[in-house]
Order: sequence, then C-alpha cells, then structure tokens
Amino acid sequence: MNDMRLFERAAAVDGVKISAKGVNVHYGTAHALKDVSVDIGDRLVTAFIGPSGCGKSTFLRCLNRMNDTIPSAAVTGRIELDGQDIYDRRVDPVQLRAKVGMVFQKPNPFPKSIYDNVAYGPKIHGLAKTRADLDVVVETALRRAALWNEAKDRLHAPGTGLSGGQQQRLCIARAIATEPEVLLMDEPCSALDPIATAQVEELIDELKQNYSVVIVTHSMQQAARVSQRTAFFHLGHLVEYGETGQIFTNPRDPRTESYISGRIG
Amino acid sequence: MPLGWLFLIVLLIAALGYAAGRRRALAGAGGSLRAMHSLPTAYGWNVAMAVLIPSLLVLAVWSLASPFVLDRTVAPMMAGQDGEIGLLMSDVRRVAEGLDLLGEDPASVSLEGLRERLAGAGVALGQDVSAATLAAAARYKELGARSALLQSVLVLAVALGMGAWAVRRTTPALRARNEVEWGIQGLLIAAALVAIATTIGIVLALIFNTIKFFQLYPASAFFFGTTWSPSFGGGSSLGILPLVWGTLYISLIALLVAVPLGLFSAVYLSEYASPRVRAWAKPMLEVLAGIPSIVYGLFALLTVGPALLAVFGSGGLGWMQGGTAVITAGLVMGIMLIPFVSSLSDDIINAVPQAMRDGSLGLGATQSETIRQVVLPAALPGIAGAILLAASRSIGETMIVVLGAGAAARLSLNPFDAMTTITAKIVSQLTGDQDFTSPEALVAFALGMTLFVVTLGLNILALWIVRRYREQYE
Repeated sequence: MNDMRLFERAAAVDGVKISAKGVNVHYGTAHALKDVSVDIGDRLVTAFIGPSGCGKSTFLRCLNRMNDTIPSAAVTGRIELDGQDIYDRRVDPVQLRAKVGMVFQKPNPFPKSIYDNVAYGPKIHGLAKTRADLDVVVETALRRAALWNEAKDRLHAPGTGLSGGQQQRLCIARAIATEPEVLLMDEPCSALDPIATAQVEELIDELKQNYSVVIVTHSMQQAARVSQRTAFFHLGHLVEYGETGQIFTNPRDPRTESYISGRIG
Repeated sequence: MPLGWLFLIVLLIAALGYAAGRRRALAGAGGSLRAMHSLPTAYGWNVAMAVLIPSLLVLAVWSLASPFVLDRTVAPMMAGQDGEIGLLMSDVRRVAEGLDLLGEDPASVSLEGLRERLAGAGVALGQDVSAATLAAAARYKELGARSALLQSVLVLAVALGMGAWAVRRTTPALRARNEVEWGIQGLLIAAALVAIATTIGIVLALIFNTIKFFQLYPASAFFFGTTWSPSFGGGSSLGILPLVWGTLYISLIALLVAVPLGLFSAVYLSEYASPRVRAWAKPMLEVLAGIPSIVYGLFALLTVGPALLAVFGSGGLGWMQGGTAVITAGLVMGIMLIPFVSSLSDDIINAVPQAMRDGSLGLGATQSETIRQVVLPAALPGIAGAILLAASRSIGETMIVVLGAGAAARLSLNPFDAMTTITAKIVSQLTGDQDFTSPEALVAFALGMTLFVVTLGLNILALWIVRRYREQYE
C-alpha cells in the first residue's frame, strides 16, 4: 500500500469503463474545461491532480451529471459509460447517478441515524425487499467502509454525531450501499486528519476490487499512494494522462514536471 | 415660562456651550489640531451634551412629577366633600384651568354663574362650583404657578451651571471624544430602555387590572364558564371558554389553509423556481404580508362571506345562516398567513446546506425524493417554528374576525356558524364610553392578559426552536 516503487506497480487494465471525448464545460461565459479526452479503466483507481481551479472537480462532476444541478453549467462533448453516451436524451441522470456514486469533499451525512444514512440509497432504488435484507445491505456497506466496528452499537444514533473521519467513511458506506459501478471521490480526505486519511486510502485500495474509482486530490503523495493512473489538469486542459508511476517519475510534459516537483501550483 | 420656550432656551445655551467649548479647546492648543486629544467638534459636543442631558432630564422629571405632587397637596382640601375624590380633583383642575382662560382672579371671583361663564370659555363642568372647589382651584393655580417658576429656574440653573463647568474643564488634553462616545452610548441605552420600560408598564397595567377584575368576578367562573353574555346592568356571565374555542377554531382553519399553501410555495420557490421566476414571485408573495388586516377584513365581509353563502347558504346546501362565520374568517386569515409561513420556510429551506442536496442527488435520488427525505426533515424544526409564529399571529388577529366571524359567543363544532374570538370581544367590550370599575369593562384586561400569555408562550417556543435549528448548521 505504502510502497513507493511506482514502476513495479501492476496496472493491469481490464477494459475501459468511462470514455470521454472532447469534453468542454462552460459556466456562463467562463470556459472551465477545454477539450478533455480520457479513458478511465475498469477496476482501477484513477487520480485527477492539478492546482485549484484547473477543472478536475468540474470534470469529475461531469461523469455523473452533477453539473446538471448548476443552472449556468453547459457541457458539450461525449462521455460514455460502458459505451453508452451518458448525455444522451434517453439517459435519466437519476439512474446514472445510481450507477456512478459520488463522495464529496466535506463529509455530508444526512441529519438522520447512521442506519438511515446508509439505507437511504437502497431504499430509494428498491434494492432491499424486506427489513432483514436492508439490515444485511447496511451491515455489508458499513463493514466495507471499515465503520462497522465503531458504529454497530450506535446504528440509530445521528450520523452527524460521528467524528469527521467516521462521517466521511459513513458517506463512503452510503455511496457503496447503492452498489454503484463507478465511485467518484472529490477530495475525500481534505477535511480529515492523517489517521482518518490512511483509513480512507486503505478503503479506496480495497474498493478497486469491485469498482472503478476516480479520485480528485490535492495531495500528490495521496495520488501516488492510491492510484494506478493519474491525470494532470492545468487551466482547464488535460495536460498529461498515464500510468501513475510514469507521471510521477518521468513526466513527458514540462508543466507536469513543474507541478509535481513543486515549482507551479 | 412655557415649556416650549424653556426647551428652546436650553437648546440655545447648548449651542453657545458648543461654540465656547470648541473655541476654548482650539485656543488652548494654539490652533494646532496635533496638540489636541480630539477633534475640535468633539470638545463642542462634550459641552453641549453636558448642558442638554442633565437639564432636559430635570425638565422631563419635573413635568411628569409636578401634577402628582400638586394633586397630593390640594386633595386634602377636598377631603370633606361628597363624591369620589378623583372626580372632585378633576373638577378642581378644570376650574383652575378655566379661571386662567377667563382671566379672573380666584380671590375676587363670584361663585354666581361661574359654571355658565366657564362653559362659555369651553370648560364643561358636571355640577355647580362649590366654595370648597373654588378655594382648592385657587390653591391649585397658585401652587401650579410656583411650580412652573421653580422648574424654569432650576432647569436654567442646571443648564448654565453644567455648561460653565464643562467649558471650564475643557483643555486640549481633555479626552472629549471618548466622553462623547460615552454620551452616545448612554443615549442608545436610554432609547432601548424606553422600549423595555414601556413593555414592562403594559404588562404591569394588564396584571393590576386583571387582579382588579378577579376581585370583582371569580376567576373560576371566568376561566371555566361556558357562557359569555355581558350586560352592563350587572349579572353578566363572563366565561372565556366560548371565546377561546372560537379563537382556536378560527386559528386552526387559518393554519389548515396557510401551512400547506405556504409550505408548498416555499418548496417551489427555493427548490424548483428558476432565478427569474423567483425574482418576481417571492416579492409578490411578500406583498400579501403588507396588506393591512382591515383590508382582509373587508375582503372577508364583502367577497368571501357572500361567496360561501351562495354555496353553503340557504340557496345551496343550507348549512350556513349568514356570511359571517368561522370558515369565512379562517379562510381569509389563512390567506393572510401564507406569506408568513412561505417566507420564513423559504429562508429555512435555503439554509439547508447544498451539500445535503448534492449528497442525496449523488446517490441517484430524484429531486422530490431529495426534498421529502433530506431537505424537509433537515428544515423541519425551523418550519415548525415558522408555523408557531403564524399561529400566534392568527390568535392575536383582530380585524378579520371582527368583520368576518360574527359576534355570537358560541361553543359549536359547525364551522359555518358565526363565532367570536377573544380579540373581537375585547373590541366590543371597550367600544363606547366606559368606566373602568365594572367587571364588564375590566374583563377586557383579563382577556388581554390571557391572550398575551398564550401568544408569548407560542413566540418563545417558536424562537427557541428556530434558534436551536440555526445553531445546527453554523
């Protein structure tokens, strides 16, 4: 997990999960994302790095159409999930988001009990028929988010009463309880202390067995630790995309090199 | 000296003090602003405030206190006379005032025809002027003149003395600006105290008159009596229950109208409406809150009542006897309360963090699922507070029920019956001439006190809920 021998890290590619071609995003008149094309592999962790305002979060929000909730945002280009254009008119963004889950920068548990937080998605999508089924779904999700031991005795206590790190793991449990195929994480550790960060990173490493994970991070160490592929964004452009080891040890673009060596950003 | 003149002279002294303080400070510093602690105007204001505050305080206290002192001093002279001392003393004051108007000397005036002459000067008396009244009036006049003179002298002395003292202590090193700041702070505190003192005064007046009422009329009969039939000849039943029932029934109908409509419009405005729609729809809704309640009352009386009567009255279903009924007042009051509920709920729904909505939408929830299961539960305590505020407003509402609900105090379940409320009965008990010694008039205070306690309780509860909710997200 924590080894930095980047060259030797296996980056076996099962196939392409998400394929973006020529994606542009405008917020009103501001051109936030400029002609981005990326293929995101299945069962891999892909990291988006880059300075603030470079468009990495914007691109992440395109992948499950969360930008639809911002009235001024306009997305053009083509993004395919398993070969299906997600901006096609026949695609319901609600269904899409059930398949492409999201974890946000700040832990945002609902003002409900821990149990109800996790059960929220399964209930909405009818994933559990009986109460017993639901109990199983909740327990599984909490176990996979490494929160079960801490939360099992207080499942009906409010989720907002947990510590910051626990809250973020609760949000991850909530996201994986709906059985998504892709998990998008927008700086999931930026509000957490190093111990909670380590727990979340460990979790991400496990999650890649079943999901493809896309993580936006400001921490280059984190990107190097958890990801197999890394994309570097700068001023709305996708500057470089490749194997994490190659990006961090042998970047092709001078801007990438400046950023990872700390000269810009 | 008339009060107006006295006031103007004090102002003039203050203005002179301002100029003197300013000049003295400048002269002391040799005209150099650097050598002075404060700006020249601050020295001026410091002197002006030293003149104004104490002298105006003396002026106000004296003006408020002197009538009481005069009454107390003169009252023993009338002690032997027939009649109530309060009424006798008001005669004495009127005679004294009338003699001033007639320009007659109380020592030489003849009692013969005095009442007629006074009436000619615009001073009406209930009975002929007796010798004792005239003597008391003469004494009253004399003491009054002495008091006015003393007041003028004292106020001017204070103004001049304080002015001289303030000018003398003005040196460039004086921290005039800080002192002026203190003075301003004092003024602001005084302004706040006026409001607080008034509130306390109102509450005390309510309490004392309520106690007086309960000495004349048993409290148990008031709180548990089921008939309300005041008669000024005596022997009235003043049971509050029919009024409480009418008040609660009308409020309930009003809330049944206002809460769903207000809440739904708040959800629409805060969650669905585009910024353009919101920009005109929200102010339009809030215009409703600016309509005076008497206008709603007219609307109830002239439009809603007849319209309901056409459907439910004798020509239609036959449930309704007249246009004024619980349902009429309730519906109109409900419309009046919509902006209350919607505007407060809208603010509260907007205060739910966007992260909550994102979290829910990011899990694949639809917008209405998000609103029902995340946004509204998160906003619920605040919405409950908004509803309680609307409820306390509806309980205290007067004009709509006076015009729309009828005047019959009645315990009935039929919403098409005319009923009446606590506020409407306070109005009818106090319209016209009253003497505040009969239980029929004093009951208004007991009714007002009941209303006050109920609405205060509701408001405190609502504010407590709203505040607790606000802290949750800050």
